[in-house]
Amino acid sequence: MKKLNIFLTILLLLPVFLIAQDEETEIARVKSKPVRAPFGCPVVIDNQTVYIPTAKTLEFVIEHRFDKIENISNLFGIYGSSNIRLGVNYSITNKLSVGFGTTKYRKLQDFRIKYNILEQTRDDKMPVALTAYGNMGIDARAESYFGQNYKFTNRLSYFTELIVARKFTDWLSIQVSGSFSHINRVDSLMEHDKIGISFSGRARVTAQSSIIFNYGIPLEIKGIQEHTTLTNPPKQNFGIGWEISTSTHCFQIFVTSATDLSPQYTMMENQNDWLDGDLFFGFTITRLWSF
Amino acid sequence: MNMKTRSINKIIGIAAVLFFAMAFMAFIAPQDQKKGGPWEIPSKYAKMENPYAGDTDLIKIGKMLYSKHCKSCHGNKGLGDGPKAKQLETFPGSFATETFQDDTDGEMYFKSIIGRDEMPNYEKKITDDEDRWAIINYLRTLK
Repeated sequence: MKKLNIFLTILLLLPVFLIAQDEETEIARVKSKPVRAPFGCPVVIDNQTVYIPTAKTLEFVIEHRFDKIENISNLFGIYGSSNIRLGVNYSITNKLSVGFGTTKYRKLQDFRIKYNILEQTRDDKMPVALTAYGNMGIDARAESYFGQNYKFTNRLSYFTELIVARKFTDWLSIQVSGSFSHINRVDSLMEHDKIGISFSGRARVTAQSSIIFNYGIPLEIKGIQEHTTLTNPPKQNFGIGWEISTSTHCFQIFVTSATDLSPQYTMMENQNDWLDGDLFFGFTITRLWSF
Repeated sequence: MNMKTRSINKIIGIAAVLFFAMAFMAFIAPQDQKKGGPWEIPSKYAKMENPYAGDTDLIKIGKMLYSKHCKSCHGNKGLGDGPKAKQLETFPGSFATETFQDDTDGEMYFKSIIGRDEMPNYEKKITDDEDRWAIINYLRTLK
């Protein structure tokens, strides 16, 4: 009986200890809060950011690229042909979002997933944020674009990226990412795979406005190349612009050398050389709805 | 003057009247805005203590968040004159008034974060409690 009493006493006291532990965890959690918004938009020109809107948020994304900036007669590219992507993303949790988008070039339909593996904390116990991003694209043009021996898998392309970001000060955030792109069906002299790195950043100028930039470098790694000499190797892409983020919107207007709105094609097929003046005006608008 | 010219003149005349009527309405509309009635604030909120009261470090954060979430309606200095204010049916009010500044921090919290009618709820947009109180601390500076 005595043993039973001791057992019951311990059993009754157990929740007290458990609560105490919770409080300790709570204090630790408060101390290690994530930094405030290292980036204000899910994309920075032509690259993803570590930003994921809070859980149960639906995001509508409009991405637009005008024609090459030439002169006033084409209104610096605005009167020319353009590329556009419309997409929706949904944050399932604070760290996980999924999405779908459709793009004019190649009638590309893309499915994407983004996951925050680590968040940078205010006490610097975790000095960086780490985010994984992946997408699968389906080229939805007519079968005739794919030549002979057509199979559905010819339409598929993939992009995976690991992004490391750090908010250095209240006004400056920089991220570096490594990516792997794959296109299932390419011309016989072209490559199927490409490893690339990107540098992006946001320098806040006022509470709502920031200068943003992105630089993407497709790497030439002999070990994974299928051909000893590359045909039309992809060019490095560069973009710089202005971002305004509000409670429910994010606006970016910029010049960039990349016109593809899917990162795998930017990394593998971009032939625009920004040093030769191949630049294009573009903008991105996002709208958020919380549920 | 033939029939066709008269018809065109008539259409231009009607269009001009409509244009001036619409332009005139633009001046009238703000005066038609309702004044918000008294708030019913649950005692849980009214009695709420601000754990960051007097934390001046948070004012900078509060100002940044105010610019992002509040400024478009409430205006740069909280006078209720932001660019979107005119589209509202209810005047957003001025944070500089004694009536507003006499509120407790908890009452301000309820009005700012929980909201009612045209004043949206910000619980899902501003998830961190410290950030919410940072806005309240900033509103205190708009006297």
